[in-house]
This record gives sequence, structure tokens and C-alpha cells, in this order.
Amino acid sequence: MHRDAQLRALMDRKVASLASLDQLLAGVQHGSRAALKRLYELESRRLYGIALRIARRPEVAADALQDTFVQVWQNAASFSPERGNAAAWLTGIVRYRALDALRKLGREVLSDDPALGDTGDEPDIVAQIDLRLAKDALRRCLDELEEKQRRCIVLAFVDGLSHAEIARRLPAPLGSVKSWVRRGLLSLRSCLEP
Amino acid sequence: MIPDTPEELHVLAGEYVLGVLEPDAAREVAGALAQNAALSRAVRFWEERLHPLSGLASPAEPPAGMWQRIESGIDGAAKPGWWNALWLWRAVAVAATAVAACLALYIAFAPPAAGPSYVAVLHAPQGQQPAFVATASPRGLLVHAVASETAPSDRGFELWAIPPGAKPISLGMMRDDGRLELGTLPPAISPGTTLAITLEPKTGAPHPAPSSAPVFLGTLVPAK
Repeated sequence: MHRDAQLRALMDRKVASLASLDQLLAGVQHGSRAALKRLYELESRRLYGIALRIARRPEVAADALQDTFVQVWQNAASFSPERGNAAAWLTGIVRYRALDALRKLGREVLSDDPALGDTGDEPDIVAQIDLRLAKDALRRCLDELEEKQRRCIVLAFVDGLSHAEIARRLPAPLGSVKSWVRRGLLSLRSCLEP
Repeated sequence: MIPDTPEELHVLAGEYVLGVLEPDAAREVAGALAQNAALSRAVRFWEERLHPLSGLASPAEPPAGMWQRIESGIDGAAKPGWWNALWLWRAVAVAATAVAACLALYIAFAPPAAGPSYVAVLHAPQGQQPAFVATASPRGLLVHAVASETAPSDRGFELWAIPPGAKPISLGMMRDDGRLELGTLPPAISPGTTLAITLEPKTGAPHPAPSSAPVFLGTLVPAK
């Protein structure tokens, strides 16, 4: 057996004992498929939930999830724990994959599809902030924003809505939405930056 | 247009991370990330700081068969690495003539060996000056320096065998005197296998994969 294959086999046996996402990503960097599988077991429900919320269609969310893990397999080397948080890195990948898929489908068409209703029957995501977001810096800074700025930013990040879609959802003029997003980002930045 | 004032850059990066940009603008930002360090830092700032918001999306069970789909996606996509790089193989092709000339000389003076044997001349990817010569026979593999190439003090030369279409396999670190001898012939050694030398940390060898592009390389050909 080749030396790197032996090393991989050793790593595969060790995977069960690897706890952190950082360690698993390091295993993936060295070509351990067992590490990728473990990462999938730990993270796929969270990441699929994010993709589904943005893509709104299960088949589109599934494509985004598949692309995400293939990309993780190929690009694990571009992640380094010194530079950031592994969960945030994975979240970034799945969100961009889901947003890309939406753009390819033509997000305007999709969001105008009445079957997918931009909908009132799901719980108001902005109201969930108080219930589900830890009382950390982001929560405190979001609380400092004006209500409209906060709503725009949360709808965009969690639901993947564009300026125009937020304008339709609220409803509000497009120009106002753009300005709320912009001012919200500037306030968040000055609040979050030490 | 990517703005250059810090404030506008941060707003654009935030809009990109939020996903509110129109497709053309989003593509422009994505395309500029690799060259624009300030933009890339700003994007990372927003990705990290807004990440807790993603917890507002409820986790959901992916469709059945998802892991199998991912595995087949992986099998269809080669893991990229420098050994797949086009420039490298172009450089090998360019240098082939010079290598052939060196080999002819070397073969003429090399002692005969029992069984099939192969030789390779290793040179810098963009150069034609031989740096190492490798001879392989059933008795083993010998690689030795033919020029005074030295590695930086904190690192050493590691030798890799790259069979056609396969990943590099470490054959070990070169000794400080520029030689490496193996008493048996590794299975990866056959005509068409590329031998490559990369600069690697002296500890931990053999490494599972090269960490950098080769500094010298050449392809094994039958010696007779």
C-alpha cells in the first residue's frame, strides 16, 4: 500500500475520535473521506435548513447542499482555523451555493411563483430574533437598529431576498429598502467593530 | 465598480454577504475577491459577524440518498492540485528535447543493470539545466544531484513519484548530500512516472501530499 494511502487509512480510523469541525476539515484536507462523512453527519441538517430557507424548493436546496460538500472536499485547504470559524465558513458556502442556484433559476421568476408564496404562514423570522438568537454582540447591535433596517437585514440574510424582493414583501419603495439596508449595515459595522 | 473608500467597500461587502445584490453586481464582487484584499477582509468580517443569524433557519433533514449523491459528485470531480496544472505539463513538454539529449549521454556512460531500468533527468519546470538524475532498476532507485542545488536551511528536498493520472506519492527526503537511495523499487515507479522534488519541512516526512509546486521534475523513460 502507498504511504499516503496508509496515512489516510490511519486518519479514517481516527475520525470517530475527532470532535471539532476544525479537526474534521484538517482531515478532509488530507483526503480523508471518513472525515467528510463525519462532517456531513454533524452539519448537513443545519446547512440544509439554511439552503431550504433561501432556495424555498427542496430540489434546489439539495443541489446546493451537494455542491457545498463537493466544494468542501475540493477546497478544504482554503480554510484555516486562524482565519475564521469553521461553521461560519460552511454557512458561507451553502448560502452562496443556494443564492447562485436561485440566480440561475432567475430569482424574480421564482419569487413571483404563487405556489411558493412569499408567505405569511411561516413564523415571522424577525420576531424569532428574541427567542432564538444568543444575547451576544450581534443581538445587541441588531437591537440598536431601527426596526425597518433590522427587518431588511434579517430578511436578506436568512431568506436570501434581494432588494426588490424585500420591497415587495414589506411592502415598501425599492429606494427606501436600499437605503435601510445600507444604513443598517453602516450602523452594524460601527457597533460590531471594537 | 468596486469602490475604494473604506465605508463604501464595507457596504458593498455587506450587501454581497447578505445576498441583496443583483446577479451582475454579485458576480463582480465575487470576481474581485481574489485580487482585492480589503474587499476580501470586509466580506470575511460580515460572514463571521452575521453568521449567528443563520441559526434562525430551522435545521431540516436532507432528502434520502444525499450522501451518495455527494460521493458521486466527488468521484466525478478530481481533487485539484499542482500536479493537474496545465503549465506544469507544458513546461515538461518544452523541456523534453533537452532531457532526451541528456539521457542519451547518460545512458552511453551508465553501467549496465540487470532487468528493465529507467532513467529520468530532473530539471526546474521552466529551465533545461539538469539538477538531478534518477536511475531505477529492479535493484532499487538512486537519485543524485548533478548540480549544486541546495534547499533553504529550514526545509529539505522531498522526492515524489507521480504515476500518470495519479496523485504524488512521497519517496522520502533527499539527503543533505543530494542523494536518495531506495533498496527496492517502489510500485509507483514505471515508465511514464514523473519524479518531482518539492521543498518541504524537514520534519514529518514522508508527507501525505506536497505543499508546494515542484522545484525540479522529470519523467522516467526506459533506459534501453
